[in-house]
Amino acid sequence: MKPLILLIEDDAQIRRFLRAALDSEGYRLQEALTAEEGLVQATSRLPDLILLDLGLPDRDGLEVIRSVRQWGQIPILVLSARGQEKDKIAALDLGADDYVAKPFAVGELLARIRAALRRSSARADGPGSVVRFGAVEVDLEKRVVRVDAQEVHLTPNEYKLLQVLIQHAGKVLTQRQLLNEVWGPHHTEQAQYLRVYIAQLRRKLEGNPARPKYLQTEPGVGYRLVTEESAQ
Amino acid sequence: MAASRTLTRETILAVAIVATATVATVLLRDTLAPTNLAMIYLGGVVAVAMRCSRRISVISSFLSVAAFDFFCVPPYLTFAVSDYQYVLTFAGMLIVALVISTQTVRLREHAAHAAAAQARTEALYRLSSRLAGETRVFEAARAATALAEEVFGARAVMFLPEDGRLSFRRRTSDVLPVPPSEESIAQWVFDNGHKAGLRTGTFPDATALYLPLRGARETFGVLAVLPDVALNVEGRIFAPEQQHLLEVFAGQTALAIERTMSQRAAEETRFHMQTEQMRSSLLSAVSHDLRTPLASITGAASTLRSQGGRLPPETRDELLESISDEADRLSRLVGNLLDMTRLESGGVELRRDFYPLEEIVGTALQRMESQLEGRTVITELAENLPMVFVDDVLLGQVLWNLLENIVKYTPSGTPIELAAFEKDGAVILEVRDRGPGVPAGEEERIFEKFYRGQSGNVSDNVRGAGLGLPICRAIIEAHRGTIQALPRDGGGSIFLIRLPLESRK
Repeated sequence: MKPLILLIEDDAQIRRFLRAALDSEGYRLQEALTAEEGLVQATSRLPDLILLDLGLPDRDGLEVIRSVRQWGQIPILVLSARGQEKDKIAALDLGADDYVAKPFAVGELLARIRAALRRSSARADGPGSVVRFGAVEVDLEKRVVRVDAQEVHLTPNEYKLLQVLIQHAGKVLTQRQLLNEVWGPHHTEQAQYLRVYIAQLRRKLEGNPARPKYLQTEPGVGYRLVTEESAQ
Repeated sequence: MAASRTLTRETILAVAIVATATVATVLLRDTLAPTNLAMIYLGGVVAVAMRCSRRISVISSFLSVAAFDFFCVPPYLTFAVSDYQYVLTFAGMLIVALVISTQTVRLREHAAHAAAAQARTEALYRLSSRLAGETRVFEAARAATALAEEVFGARAVMFLPEDGRLSFRRRTSDVLPVPPSEESIAQWVFDNGHKAGLRTGTFPDATALYLPLRGARETFGVLAVLPDVALNVEGRIFAPEQQHLLEVFAGQTALAIERTMSQRAAEETRFHMQTEQMRSSLLSAVSHDLRTPLASITGAASTLRSQGGRLPPETRDELLESISDEADRLSRLVGNLLDMTRLESGGVELRRDFYPLEEIVGTALQRMESQLEGRTVITELAENLPMVFVDDVLLGQVLWNLLENIVKYTPSGTPIELAAFEKDGAVILEVRDRGPGVPAGEEERIFEKFYRGQSGNVSDNVRGAGLGLPICRAIIEAHRGTIQALPRDGGGSIFLIRLPLESRK
């Protein structure tokens, strides 16, 4: 059966074009106009993905993320206003999977939806034991990284950081999430560590560290590993 | 007190002079004729008139005649006269003495008047020249106070109002030379516009004399003058002509303050008018820039709605493309306007941290990827570049705006270079292109809001609202850096950003 998408959005015009776009892609669509209604639909219909507008009339969209994450891992894609980095970070830290800033092109939104759905179905199996992107090959079992078939030495923290990024390939990870996973919960404010390690990883893995293809920065928010597979 | 003391002193002096003349005549009366002895007395009268007031001079004239009669006209030591022709001598002597004394005193008074007038003119001239260049009210008051102390040899202080009420807190001297309780006297003077305090009809027991600084329209403050005990010139400021001068002085100060204030008001009005003018020209530019894409969108959409079925597919695609492009343009414009407004109203808080520059450069290039297709982009970032202390999102926006400008204004296919290096305690970031370059003389103007380049090869629909570069400058200046456009050897332009390296605090 086609995936079911729950759209929680109060603006009629935006619902109208999203309905048309999602419909033509063959998704089934459930619409909710308020946070309250959205939460009811989420629990009763168990959609495959939630498209969530943060500016809802009755409640803050962030609260929807918080309640959904209390009981399930349904992928949540946030529609945020441009320039609201704080909201994006808050949404991601609460467990949202991705965000698209308004105004957005439908093509981009559809790509993000596909990637999120794929990640959620792949989550059960986890990443394969060997992950490849560009000239990079990471053997997760043997903990070996090769670039152009040449083994590259990574420090334990660099490897751990890469591993976390691979686990969530295609997904934006906030600085806080990365610091927490690699260095532990007591270092979540030390974003400078993270930047230095990312820069080092880029030097070791990317052809031109000033034009990274894989280790991409989401300005003001965090980082995302883009592999060919996740970018489809 | 002072006046009576002066009187006593003059009386003693007059008596002493007459007594000296008498001693002289007594010693000489056997050798000189009595008429010649009268001359000695007349000399004494002149001496008295030169030093003393008119009243004392007249009295000493009579006293001299009496002494002459008593000591020099036989029979001696009586007022009786042996020869009646002496009566004529007495009368002549008295008349001469009176004329001499009156004239001498008058002459002296004239000289004193002239000197006082001279001093007054000089004092007022100095006041006006000292206040002429002063554009701030408080500084004008301070200068006038200093001059008042000098001219009147007294302690002086000016009080200026705060929120319509006079306040001892707003004063021109560091220490308060009068008791704080006299604030109410100063307030009374300020409210009524009449002088009060020491030696006036109102509050005569006060320690100081309070004069209003009364201009043509209102009272600007109060001048307090008090005798300086140390200088021991207590009487000076209370002489009638000095009192008058003090009042003129206060009036002149008030006029100077009034002029200062009206100058300021005129400047503010002019500034306000300029701002208004700028605002309305900005508004017309913005509304033009907003309306143009809206008109295209509305036109294309309504055409598709009413004639969509009859249009060939290519035309439909064209119209759809123009809707989408114009919407993008509108979106960028609104975004820029919001950014500019936020930057200008100080609503943007820099979220600065240390970042590797290559990360910010990389992000900007990544965001521009689709538009940079077909162009060579060369990045030359120096090895071991120190981390920069910036707001990554905003600096990224600067690079993005610069790159977008290059894409818009330079021929497709021309290369773009991004270079960064450290120099003189700053990180220099250069964005270079091989386009037509910024026209000479417009290097600064392109950073002005809503300024559009004159380069003819750019059609109206690729132009933005002329906000990209002003936003760049606002962001870089918020980082205490500079941004400028330079011509490039071999054609093209260089946008040079200089970010001073700063420590965290």
